[in-house]
Amino acid sequence: MARSAGQRDGFALLGMLGIAMFLLAWEVIGQNRWLGLTWPALSEVVVFLFTPSRQTLFLRALSASLGSLFVGYCLGLFAGIAAATLAHTVSAMRSGLDTMSAFIHAIPSIALAPLFIVFIGREHTPAALAALSTFFVMYVSTTSSFASSRQEWIDLMRVLGASRLDRLRRLDIPAATPIIVGGMRLAAPSALIGVIIGEWFGATRGVGVLIINAMQNFQIPLLWSAVVLAVIVSLGLFALLGMLQKYAERRFR
Amino acid sequence: MIANIKRFIGSAWIVLAMLAAWEALFSIHAINSIVMVSPSSIAKEVLNHPQEFGAATLRTLLLAVAGLVLGMTIGTLLAVATWLSRFISGLLTPVSIIFASVPVVAIIPILARLFGYETGTVLAIVAIISFFPAFVFTSSGLRSLPPGSDDLFRILGVGKVRRLYHLAFPSAIPQWTIALRLAAANAVLSAIVAEFLMGTGGLGYVFNVARGELAMSHALGASAIAAVISIACFFGATVLERKARSRWS
Repeated sequence: MARSAGQRDGFALLGMLGIAMFLLAWEVIGQNRWLGLTWPALSEVVVFLFTPSRQTLFLRALSASLGSLFVGYCLGLFAGIAAATLAHTVSAMRSGLDTMSAFIHAIPSIALAPLFIVFIGREHTPAALAALSTFFVMYVSTTSSFASSRQEWIDLMRVLGASRLDRLRRLDIPAATPIIVGGMRLAAPSALIGVIIGEWFGATRGVGVLIINAMQNFQIPLLWSAVVLAVIVSLGLFALLGMLQKYAERRFR
Repeated sequence: MIANIKRFIGSAWIVLAMLAAWEALFSIHAINSIVMVSPSSIAKEVLNHPQEFGAATLRTLLLAVAGLVLGMTIGTLLAVATWLSRFISGLLTPVSIIFASVPVVAIIPILARLFGYETGTVLAIVAIISFFPAFVFTSSGLRSLPPGSDDLFRILGVGKVRRLYHLAFPSAIPQWTIALRLAAANAVLSAIVAEFLMGTGGLGYVFNVARGELAMSHALGASAIAAVISIACFFGATVLERKARSRWS
């Protein structure tokens, strides 16, 4: 179903209208207190977020969370790709690694957090949980991307006498890159979830700490501001990695 | 039978090795049970309190399943409704995609404050979190028709409702099962997180209370049950997805 450019523009316009209506509804519900005191208006949250006296609070929380996110994300990224490459080249490891990653992923992070606090300490738990979620997404997307090499090309390389390593370098990795980058995009929000849950278990600073403290102390504007902050980080990373994915698709296809 | 055992060991050996290493750590070092406990003592703890763990598991499971069914149903129905109208789907799709990529556990505290600390809130939270993948994936599935098929149906003068039934539904089912897999895993997680935060009973609550009392084997017993449920959900949904794929695509 090919759509003309005009139709697509109309669709994008409608989408923006939808987002605008959502934000307007948020504002109106908050202004009129239709859902009680726990639903502040959008403008109240924005004012709260940008009050100069609170900038240090938010910036400190944000830098702590982003630090854990970065460390955990990078660790999970490399470990996931490395494990998938291992499973791809050494077929004896394949099903063991498959089960292990599904198993680790299925354990709720809220159940793992206390274990991590004991084994690696409070301050490293957010990064470790982020690393685990990233690991799973990267493992799954990398293994499925290796399967995307076309059979004719595999046959061709074999006929030309390429070794397994040659094939990995010249065929599998270039063919896999766009799907792996897609996995990197999906991993970002789940890594952030890992950081937030990790911080709930007694980190000293971070966006997750702000959320949980504000919830328990009934600081509604702070609660909403902290959640909005987390959402902005998640959407920002998602958009950034989305651009990287578009680039990878153009470059490798 | 022996082949099955062999296959099980072949696929689970890394997990088994990790558990064995954890257990072995305890026979080598004496570790205080407030700090950490061994897998065997966690299993013993669960088996020694069948009633408490059983009731909590049942409660969490019921809430997760009810919320999942509710959220998936509303999400699917709304996706079908928006399929019928281009205007509404254009309006709603970007908003729901933004919501679907939001870190879900971050909004649980807001929902908890909004609806109050009650059991019904856990249900609402699970339903809301299950709604978004159902809506997004069903919507995109209803639109990913085989090339030309929609034009063919139109030329043959097939009405909208029959196009939906004979063309869009079959093409949406594989995507819908992906939504189910994602939502099922999240349903258990979000039910436990909500119970943990609000203290409304269930596995999350058992876990939180035991953690506060430094009863590590009791707390990790709740964790272990949660893990087993999640793993079962994940594999169940994966099998369902594979079946749906081979049948409808």
